[in-house]
Amino acid sequence: MSKEKKESVIESSIKRKYKLQAKDVKVWYGDFMAIKGISMDIKPNKVTAFIGPSGCGKSTFLRLFNRMNDYVDGFKMDGEINIDDKNINDKDINVELLRKQVGMVFQKPNPFPKSIFENVAYGLKIQGLKDKKFLEERVVNSLKRVALWDEVKDDLNKNALALSGGQQQRLCIARTLAVEPSIILMDEPTSALDPISTAKIEELIYKLKDKYTIVIVTHNMQQASRISDNTAFFYLGELIEYDKTNKIFTNPEKQQTENYITGRFG
Amino acid sequence: MNNIRKNRLKDQAFKIWGIFCTLLGLVLLAIFIGNIFIDGIMRIDWEFIMNLPSRKAEKSGIYTALMGSIWVLLLTTLIALPVGIAAAIYLEEYSKKNKLATILEVNISNLAGVPSIIYGLLGLEVFVRIMEMGASVVAGSCTLALLILPIVIVSTREALKAVPKSIRDASFAMGASKWQTVYHQLLPASFGGILTGIILALSRAVGETAPLIVIGALAYVPFAPSSPMDEFSVLPIQIFNWITRPQHGFVENAAAAIIILLLITFVMNGIAVYFRNKWQKKFK
Amino acid sequence: MLNLEDHREILNQSGLEMFQLVRKQFIKSKEAFLNHDNDLAEEVLHTENRVNGMDLKLDRECERFIALHNPVAGDLRFVLALRKINFDLERIGDHAYGISSYIVEVDTPVDKEVLDKLEFAEMYKAALSMLDDIRDAYQTGNTKKARKVFKKDKILNKINLNSFGVISEEVQKDPKLIDQYLLLFSVIKKIERVGDLITNIGEEIIFYLEAEVLKHRKKKGPSKPSK
Repeated sequence: MSKEKKESVIESSIKRKYKLQAKDVKVWYGDFMAIKGISMDIKPNKVTAFIGPSGCGKSTFLRLFNRMNDYVDGFKMDGEINIDDKNINDKDINVELLRKQVGMVFQKPNPFPKSIFENVAYGLKIQGLKDKKFLEERVVNSLKRVALWDEVKDDLNKNALALSGGQQQRLCIARTLAVEPSIILMDEPTSALDPISTAKIEELIYKLKDKYTIVIVTHNMQQASRISDNTAFFYLGELIEYDKTNKIFTNPEKQQTENYITGRFG
Repeated sequence: MNNIRKNRLKDQAFKIWGIFCTLLGLVLLAIFIGNIFIDGIMRIDWEFIMNLPSRKAEKSGIYTALMGSIWVLLLTTLIALPVGIAAAIYLEEYSKKNKLATILEVNISNLAGVPSIIYGLLGLEVFVRIMEMGASVVAGSCTLALLILPIVIVSTREALKAVPKSIRDASFAMGASKWQTVYHQLLPASFGGILTGIILALSRAVGETAPLIVIGALAYVPFAPSSPMDEFSVLPIQIFNWITRPQHGFVENAAAAIIILLLITFVMNGIAVYFRNKWQKKFK
Repeated sequence: MLNLEDHREILNQSGLEMFQLVRKQFIKSKEAFLNHDNDLAEEVLHTENRVNGMDLKLDRECERFIALHNPVAGDLRFVLALRKINFDLERIGDHAYGISSYIVEVDTPVDKEVLDKLEFAEMYKAALSMLDDIRDAYQTGNTKKARKVFKKDKILNKINLNSFGVISEEVQKDPKLIDQYLLLFSVIKKIERVGDLITNIGEEIIFYLEAEVLKHRKKKGPSKPSK
């Protein structure tokens, strides 16, 4: 291999070390500066947790990666957000395509008021995929992956709103998986659920790590320490500390981090 | 202890007053309908419905007015619905929520309260004269469409507003465009509310008299419309016409026609409520 | 419902209490031994119950703290360290008890000359100063003080090693005294063990304050500045 080729291969493999990247990102809502200049690299096939007190900007930061902030009045952004080294705010980026690559699960389960089948197939249908067999396969597959299949296989036409909260949230995850994203963003996915449903979903997240890069915003310190590989602590729009989860919870570098995770404030 | 007794008395007092007020309206309505019923029910037969109006009360029928009403209703629906719903979707989902949007919203609500005769005058000038539609069904329909447009827009917007934001979020997050979200999620979910709005609007339209008189709907029309450009009459006008006649036979006719009109209104409402409930069950 | 900070402070005070209790036991047993004071020795034996009781209490409190508060970071290291420190302090108490029971069993006091030859006074002095250092380190959160004990432990080890030679020499001179010398040897071993236990406590304190694990490692010189 020639020297240049070798270097570019090495470079690209180093580059690909980071799946998601933020470079000196600043965010404003009108005059209010919500994110004050954050840079961050997120590794592929890992679970990264965002923690911090309410209003510290972690949800805003999360939503930068699938550009859901675009719908908020007064939103303005500076800096780069890169996914697989491509700036997702470039003019030539198709934002709908981006959202098929980057899925999102919300805090309160929000299944569509349609049947279970329709819910999971929605993402595929809006891409124009119509083949019945294909849709069925994908739907069944996704439901199996979230361990919901056995519970709903008898009636996929049942209205999704008839499911319990934990089932609904798993359905939302299945819906996201059906379009085969490579990244899944989760905004406090279990905060509205009971402990058993929470445990089931945490188990699911842990299993999904193999195939997906997962970023999860959570208020629950134990959850962050249980399921994440890396943890980022946000405070008042700044990234205070970002390190391996084990380090953050046994011996954080910054006193602020320690104060937050030991419950001294926030 | 005295306080509790007082409160309980107040409670009871209001309950009685509330029942009285409710019953008052219902009772008066019942008396009115009852009266009409007594006067007109004997007059209704197939001939009455199929006959053209005539100078002789016994020979007069509502055929032309009925047909006119149906034509106008259908055409008004065809014009107002797509325009109103599209406008509402645009205002609610697409336009930026700035000062201009607020001004627009307030003004549309205001339009719903404008006296209907003003619409009549507008229709006369613009549709009948400038656009040279003449005193035709289409002119009448356009005028009524304008009249009910604000109602359609406002109620469609309310129905859309009632769909929770989380549905939109979920749809966008899945990579759907705005239109896909509207078409696949918002319209189906708000259908019930939209339908209710349509019923309200059309119920109003079917009973409008003043604007149609202004644009030139005739009181005496010996034929049913066969094209949108034809001249026409509608039931309310026919009723008005009969009421002004001195002969007792015409009073009976008017009562009978009122019964028919009420029937149409109730049936329309009933169908729509039925469909709305059926649809709502799907989403609960 | 006990607030985490308050609960931690309670644990801290209990730890300090244990330190004070065990330190007194050790001093008393030293006095009893050097002056062959039977009464003092009995006092130590009597107080052993309190030491055991304190040990159990502290253990239970640590368990409760973990269960209730799910501690992380500094809080977690604190309670983990405290459990081990408690264990080590209890062993020190045991040794003080052991030394005192010898005094009670043996009638004749030890020859002053022999005590000097074996450097008992120096040994005890070093051990006591180590105990003071470690108590201060715990109380004030001072890792520098904690690190002092590693060097001082060398003194104890040296005296311990020397004692072999001295004792074998003395026994050869007068074999009848072997019982006495065996006894003295036991006591020396015990004091040397106390030194080891104190260095253990030192490691735990450093772990708690700096998250550095010194267990099974060679102790190096200059220390990292604490947070």
